[in-house]
Amino acid sequence: MLLTEKEARTITEKMLSFVKANDAAVSVSSEETSHIRFAENSFLTSGKRENRGANVTVWIEGRRGSSSTNNLDESSLRQAVEQAEQIARLAPVDPEYIPTLGAQTYRPTGGFVEATANISPAARAKAVGSILAESEKSKIIAAGFYQSQAAAAAFATKNGNFGFQRNTVVGLSVTGRTSDGTSSGYFARSHFDANKLDTARIAREAIRRTLDGRNAKALEPSVYTVILEPQAVADLLGFFGGGFDARSAEEGRSPYSALGGKTKRGEKIFDERINILSDPWNAELPGSQSAQAGIPAQKVYLVKNGVLDNLVYSRFWAKQKDTEPTPGPVNTIMETSGKPATVEEMISSTKRGLLISRFWYIRSTDPRTASLTGLTRDGVWLIENGKIQYPVKNFRFNQSIIQMLAPGNVEMIGVSERVGDTDNASLLPPLKLKAFNFTSQSEAV
Amino acid sequence: MSSSRRDFLKTAGLALGTVTLAPWVLEAEAVANVIIQDNKNKLADLALATARKLGASYADIRINRYRTEAISTRERQVQNVSRNQNFGFGVRVLVNGTWGFAASPDVTEKSVSRATMDAIEIAKANSMFQRKKITLASAEKVTANWKSSFQKDPFDVSIDDKIQFLLKLNETALGVKGVSFINSSMAWVNEQKFLATSDGSRIEQYIIRGYPNFSVTAVDRTNGDFQTRNSIAEGRAIGYEYVEKPDWLVEARQAGEEAVGKLTAKPIEPGKYDLVLHPSHLYLTIHESVGHSTELDRALWWEANYAGTSFLTPDKTGRLQFGSKIVNFFADRTQPAGLATVAYDDEGVAGQKWYLVKDGIFVDWQTTRDLAPRIGKNKSYGCLHADSWGSVPFPRMPNVSLEPTKENVSTDDLIAGVEKGIMINGRGSYSIDQQRYNFQFGGQTFWEIKNGKVVGMLRDVAYQSRTTDFWNACDGLGGESTYLLPGTFNDGKGEPGQSNAVSHGCPSARFRQINVLNTAVQASRRS
Repeated sequence: MLLTEKEARTITEKMLSFVKANDAAVSVSSEETSHIRFAENSFLTSGKRENRGANVTVWIEGRRGSSSTNNLDESSLRQAVEQAEQIARLAPVDPEYIPTLGAQTYRPTGGFVEATANISPAARAKAVGSILAESEKSKIIAAGFYQSQAAAAAFATKNGNFGFQRNTVVGLSVTGRTSDGTSSGYFARSHFDANKLDTARIAREAIRRTLDGRNAKALEPSVYTVILEPQAVADLLGFFGGGFDARSAEEGRSPYSALGGKTKRGEKIFDERINILSDPWNAELPGSQSAQAGIPAQKVYLVKNGVLDNLVYSRFWAKQKDTEPTPGPVNTIMETSGKPATVEEMISSTKRGLLISRFWYIRSTDPRTASLTGLTRDGVWLIENGKIQYPVKNFRFNQSIIQMLAPGNVEMIGVSERVGDTDNASLLPPLKLKAFNFTSQSEAV
Repeated sequence: MSSSRRDFLKTAGLALGTVTLAPWVLEAEAVANVIIQDNKNKLADLALATARKLGASYADIRINRYRTEAISTRERQVQNVSRNQNFGFGVRVLVNGTWGFAASPDVTEKSVSRATMDAIEIAKANSMFQRKKITLASAEKVTANWKSSFQKDPFDVSIDDKIQFLLKLNETALGVKGVSFINSSMAWVNEQKFLATSDGSRIEQYIIRGYPNFSVTAVDRTNGDFQTRNSIAEGRAIGYEYVEKPDWLVEARQAGEEAVGKLTAKPIEPGKYDLVLHPSHLYLTIHESVGHSTELDRALWWEANYAGTSFLTPDKTGRLQFGSKIVNFFADRTQPAGLATVAYDDEGVAGQKWYLVKDGIFVDWQTTRDLAPRIGKNKSYGCLHADSWGSVPFPRMPNVSLEPTKENVSTDDLIAGVEKGIMINGRGSYSIDQQRYNFQFGGQTFWEIKNGKVVGMLRDVAYQSRTTDFWNACDGLGGESTYLLPGTFNDGKGEPGQSNAVSHGCPSARFRQINVLNTAVQASRRS
């Protein structure tokens, strides 16, 4: 069972009552997760898991120690606290220690829906059964993953802060493959409200993409104009977030570093329509009410109208630099300041280019320029003279993300929508980019 | 109280003088262990009897405790020291050819009974819509108690010793002129696993794994450049003796020098090169291109929605020329210090050794009890694994290793046979497609080879190839003296995602005419 606020408060108070150290931060969490995994048009694994955990970090005269346990009985909590204190006594002084926060006021962000927390095994089985039936009708072999999670967590500090939040999420991803293995299509969505997850649409999209991907032709790897669907944008930006760290930038080891210990903050390094932000109260993608170390989360622009507006300052680094710590990010949103274009408009305006569904196995190749390598997966189509002509086999790319979003390379930006599965949802638009660099063919399907 | 617990009290007290971890922590843990030990068999009997009564054709229960310890530092300071304990159970049932699973941290009769009923309910609900029923290969009934091979249990070593080790590493690297930063850390994992199956097996295993590592950064503020050099050594399933060798300080200094050296190294000219790959690099290429492609669940499209399928298919078994004739890959869950080494897998099948590629031909697969029947086998190779009591066990990679040549060939001998080439050390950027054909790998350090000799350092190197082209281009293997057993501590696969630790032994090896690109130039190409 998920912890109620009262139960969570009792546990954090109990943990703090065991603390002898000068300062402490404690947290307690509980979660329930259920899933069905299917493949070969059949059920593979399925199950449910409950778990909970308690964490404690203490500082004794600036020496820090942490401990955690998943047993919430009194003696285990006491042991966890005492172990953290023992560790702290052995540790050297932590020069980055900043006292924990006192009482804060949090503005709730939502994101918990009972219907999501209470999906029954029978309802889940039936939904997947329908997907399998639809796939069979289209002679598609489906694989997929349907997962729901509900969590409740609280944190507290010895200096008097306390916060409690619950959230839910349900997600479904489906991959279709033709029985000869020559085409593959994928679609995934998630939501905190099970009533807003359209499982039939997800299956339909995966099946359509699989059918539309048949008889793909090989094209030479080269620099192409591309239209990235929101999922493809999500795949790339997932490797982008950590790059906004202020300390790395000021230490000279980030794509946002400038000469002489300075940063590129304030410079227009992206297309002027691009905004990258975190908004805890976004209706589609509610974030955590608290950012780092319990600071109440706020709406934060990292990129505003193409300008590097903010870097992320930890509490320690902010103090070093005599500035405020950043109240985020707690989610990832990209949106256009201009008039959004539809994917259809992007296609019809393209003389020659590629429509990309998704990327796979992305890794950093050069952190100085946020350069990545990876591959296309589950759907690439050639566009000529404003129309989709035929499906294309996959490519490997090598591309700097900074250059990809730079002024002059972003042709069109679409309407942002919630993409990703239960673990990595974000709110992103489709993008039309003038140049994207593919370096080799991949015959994988 | 186990002997290792008693040793802890002694060694911790000696090592730390007046300050030790409180004895009560240890005593309380030991008491809890004794209580749980008595209960485990009763709880297993309850789960298995309940499952059988409610219609399961097979059931198993894992009651596991995981302890982890992590210490992280940067430069001259400790960032964090943390210890974690995690305990719980998971019940798996097979009903009408359909799996069900339920897990909880409440290790009580009431909770075990309820979870077993939940698992049955899930399996039955899904079985209404099931198409292909799951069948299992048979397994021996086993009673066993096993410990992985280690000399010094890291959980018995004082935290102070560990901190001093990391800070000394940092000081050594920072002593190199031009080094700006170093991050270092060590992680230790202890799995205490109990498995009971409806076949009658009862197995206890105690496993230790460790992963000390560091990353050195040199920043050139004048030119706005920075380069990193990560540690070459990887995780291993051995004890604290792993970090008590002087090689670590030698490597920290070398890493510092090489991070600085990379700032002024010669950028690679793209083209075809012969490659000599050190085991510290080659292991990851083996992992991605051989380890994952020979997983039978991928070949049957069980991973199609996430990690992907495989270019290998059952009809290619015994036929496909995977590599050149000198290439032999074996799977082995018995290799001492191997990260995936166990006595028994998570459904009671003994760890074993078998060939995947023999004399260059692809000959066999990695299997579990529900996979083996799909290729006509009546026994599993023992590849089932769950990363937690709360995770559904599923097929995971055993240690997959490349055999060295029987001749006495050194890395220098391999280099001597290269006119124009590159020697690569260490694990860098890595990416491979979802069927394990097309890959791109970077490394930590790159060395230009000219006329049989290493002549200088290179930078911005990555090579791209296709799995079978690459392994067929292998024309030289080092001997036993070049063989190492590196491994990866966190290999992700499956949904919900799980992490697996796995090693890949290999000698140095040579590959002819591989496509090499300059990562700095390629990523910025505009037309």
